[in-house]
Amino acid sequence: MGEVIVITSGKGGVGKTTTTANIGTGLALSGHKVVLIDTDIGLRNLDVVMGLENRIVYDLVDVVEGVCRVKQALIKDKRYEGLYLLPAAQTRDKSSVTPEQMINLINELKTEFDYIIVDCPAGIEQGFKNAIAGANRAIVITTPEVSAVRDADRIVGLLEANELRNPKLIINRVRIDMVKRGDMMSIDDIIDILAIDLIGVVPDDEKIVISTNRGEPAVNDDKSLAGQAYRNITKRIQGEEVPILNLETDDSIFSKFKKMLGFKTT
Amino acid sequence: MSENTVTFKGTVNGLTIIIKPEAGFEEVVDSMRLKIESAGKFFRGAKLAVRYRGRVLNETEKSQLHELLKSESGATILSFEEEIVDNSSVCQKSNPPVSERNNQIKKYMFFKGIEEGRTKFYRGTIRSGQLITFDGNLVILGDVNPGAVIEATGNIVVMGLLRGVVHAGSDGNKEAIVAALGLNPTQLRIADIITRPPDEKGTSANQVPELAYVKGDMLFVERFLPQR
Repeated sequence: MGEVIVITSGKGGVGKTTTTANIGTGLALSGHKVVLIDTDIGLRNLDVVMGLENRIVYDLVDVVEGVCRVKQALIKDKRYEGLYLLPAAQTRDKSSVTPEQMINLINELKTEFDYIIVDCPAGIEQGFKNAIAGANRAIVITTPEVSAVRDADRIVGLLEANELRNPKLIINRVRIDMVKRGDMMSIDDIIDILAIDLIGVVPDDEKIVISTNRGEPAVNDDKSLAGQAYRNITKRIQGEEVPILNLETDDSIFSKFKKMLGFKTT
Repeated sequence: MSENTVTFKGTVNGLTIIIKPEAGFEEVVDSMRLKIESAGKFFRGAKLAVRYRGRVLNETEKSQLHELLKSESGATILSFEEEIVDNSSVCQKSNPPVSERNNQIKKYMFFKGIEEGRTKFYRGTIRSGQLITFDGNLVILGDVNPGAVIEATGNIVVMGLLRGVVHAGSDGNKEAIVAALGLNPTQLRIADIITRPPDEKGTSANQVPELAYVKGDMLFVERFLPQR
């Protein structure tokens, strides 16, 4: 039976879709059969981030309405063995799907796939309820901003109210230089507030912007620090013990290099 | 076995059974048994003069159906005779049921007015998430952005940049065309043919008006203005 993981945050723009794409690709790269479900009906993005937009014929709403079979709507990602996408509808809205329909759909997919990653829309309304309906694990994304952490806290509460215990936390877009200066919340500050297990820290990385625009997940990019962070998260999801990426040492090695080369360090 | 092999119809005189003319006898018996079953206790204790029409029955078939009615329905069957043919039954015989006829028509009756026919003009930009459909030709005076969908049973002409999903001849007309001042769709469909642009990007600078059409089962794209 496959594992169903919902990626959620409450606040918009913190990196749910990027994380979904990278974790999904990472799991597929480690040899699992993975399906990504975009539940952001009306504002779908996962297909764009995955670079599969032009291959959509049927979508989630078509499946639950019985217009097509699930298999017809699944888009196979030809670059990564075992990776599939079930896109959301764009010309419809969140009320086109009910949580019961999501549960039925996920139960059908569970028999085929090792991992089902559900990309949740921002907000706590119908779309959120649909996304968490069939999940048995949850990953909460936040950025080191008070507003994002506040929303993440609300989401953790809602997840617990919906019997999704023990959600894991990803802190996205961390800038260690700002944390050092005291201009940004540190990882410990965030964990103090949310009091849930940390599963990964992803540094702010230009390469993410480039990769999402190109439709190629950064997890496959060896040079990207964020890609490395996502690879580690993927391993932790599979139960491996991997130390949290130490951004500080990385940064200092980098600055030492810079010093050696005669650059000014900030 | 189709739904309407046997139809029961109550009349002033009792019950009329309408049997599909082309139905096999086995099928008639099965369908009749099902019909009686689904009627439940409805016929129990009733006294019925039964007539049938629609299909010719020989004597053995007739008595077999008579027996079936008697034993299964629980009604007293006063008589079981073929109905005298009147105008309405002739009509019934010669024409298949309406729904079936519509399906047959649908197969051949896609929108044909692509040379000259009803046309919708839409003014403005079609943005992501918007869906414009029309039973006829469709002219967009504006751009079609990625994430938007436009569908028409006839031709589609975009007087602007076409970047979204476009479906011409959506009810099956392969003669339909798609034309745009900038033809750069996410996906282009004509009738039941679905295509997407080649994976390598970069030629987005070509702003030559182009036209897409189907020949055989292949989709071709070419410029429609004389080359300058």
